Amino acid sequence: MAVESTKIYEEQIERFSALDRILHWITALAFLYCLLSGIGIAYPKFHWLLTVLGGGEFARWLHPWAGVVFSIGAVLMILKWARDMVITGEDILFLMKIKSYISGRHEDLPEAGKYNGGQKLYAWIVFISAIVFFLTGIVMWFPENFGIGLVRWSVVIHEISFIVAGAFTIIHIYMGTIGLPGSIWGMIGGKVSATWAKFHHPKWYREVKGR
Amino acid sequence: MSTLTTGGTVGLGIKRLSASKEPDTSTKTYPELAILVDISSCIGCKACEVACQQWHDLTPPLLSPEEVQKIGFVSYQSLPDLRHDLFMLMKFNEGETSRGFTWFITKYQCMHCREPGCLIACPSPGAVIQYQNGIVDFDHSKCIGCKMCLVGCPFDVPRYDANNKPWKCNFCIDRVSAGLEPACVKTCPTNCLTFGLKEDMVEKGKKIVQKLKERGYENATLYDPEGVNGTGYIYVLPHGDHVKDYNLPENPKIEASIGLWKGPLKTLGSIALWGTLIGAFLQLILWGPIKVFGGKENKEEG
Repeated sequence: MAVESTKIYEEQIERFSALDRILHWITALAFLYCLLSGIGIAYPKFHWLLTVLGGGEFARWLHPWAGVVFSIGAVLMILKWARDMVITGEDILFLMKIKSYISGRHEDLPEAGKYNGGQKLYAWIVFISAIVFFLTGIVMWFPENFGIGLVRWSVVIHEISFIVAGAFTIIHIYMGTIGLPGSIWGMIGGKVSATWAKFHHPKWYREVKGR
Repeated sequence: MSTLTTGGTVGLGIKRLSASKEPDTSTKTYPELAILVDISSCIGCKACEVACQQWHDLTPPLLSPEEVQKIGFVSYQSLPDLRHDLFMLMKFNEGETSRGFTWFITKYQCMHCREPGCLIACPSPGAVIQYQNGIVDFDHSKCIGCKMCLVGCPFDVPRYDANNKPWKCNFCIDRVSAGLEPACVKTCPTNCLTFGLKEDMVEKGKKIVQKLKERGYENATLYDPEGVNGTGYIYVLPHGDHVKDYNLPENPKIEASIGLWKGPLKTLGSIALWGTLIGAFLQLILWGPIKVFGGKENKEEG
């Protein structure tokens, strides 16, 4: 106490528990493997991705297993977070005014709780896609055991699911890293700065402080 | 199944490769080949089946009486279905036609479609090869084992080994490229099987159909399905109104779902994912990251 420090450390608030983070990253890494290997399998121009991911045969082998991990992880996550993910009228309003959010006019938007409308939408997309990927994926994994018509349409639905979940995941990764500085620490170490919390999730901030 | 050793670019001339750009076929053209299967002169001896196994060195298992009882398989057929170690199978079916009791016999193997569903569905560049002579073959070194060839096949042909590699009739590509007829044709004792140029086989088939019609088989047809742009095996069916009884699909074609997934959905996926990436980048350069400014402003607010 003799030396007076000039550094001021900002107050940190816990956003995600250790369990939250472990669940998120298991699901995320499994999904990332599925996404990249899936792109490598589906798009000949990206066939080289399979080489990076361990070779065509290996990537084809691991893709369904990674998919099982992703699907289970996504279901556990939604079970754990469902209460915070209920979409309210304010969230709909937020989604309708998404342009204000993107262009930095945050004063036009309703105050967010622990998650804003966009995050909630993404959570449900991941959950629904996990179910769809799982069911259609099982059919594609063992095509000899199902009717050929079912297998063929499963491929179509698997691909539609890929397009939706893939596009939203690109947004998710962008927002979590460079698009929204400070967010990543919620998932790395688990704590975010109070300033960040107050700005992005004011309702949640007040809730945490009021405890 | 060997491919590059007997095929290669110059050897037989490649018409199409899976998940690859269409080769320029103007340098070298090679006429289409076909095998005509005249069911009306087939005696069901299964010599072709034996020849196929002998040439390809296949040893499919014999079903024990217990296994036969267990799966409830009662037939003159050797085995219930194709296997990874059984490339062709004579299929037998009994039924009634306008001419009374009939034994429907079919030679069942890869049809070597001119528009091959397996090749269209295959996502791995070069794993399915279509030669200019019409032979469709697999290259196991490029196959990733996803089984999409089965999904694309209108005839339910590819069968997989323990490593998920597909096996099927390869039209004895090694024999054909050495100037020999396929093993099944070589063996057939009744000239039910004829090997030659596709146009000659079609002509011969039509003549046989005509003769059958004269003999009272009014519904005799030549089975060369248009839905897959014709096939490498074409069949004279004495009872053309009983295609299903011959264990052949009535109108085989590349299903709409496969076209949807290989065509518009791929384009849509490219647009959606690249669009999202570009969108995120535009957000970054137009408005910048959504930053939160430090403590001072915070204090004033608080």
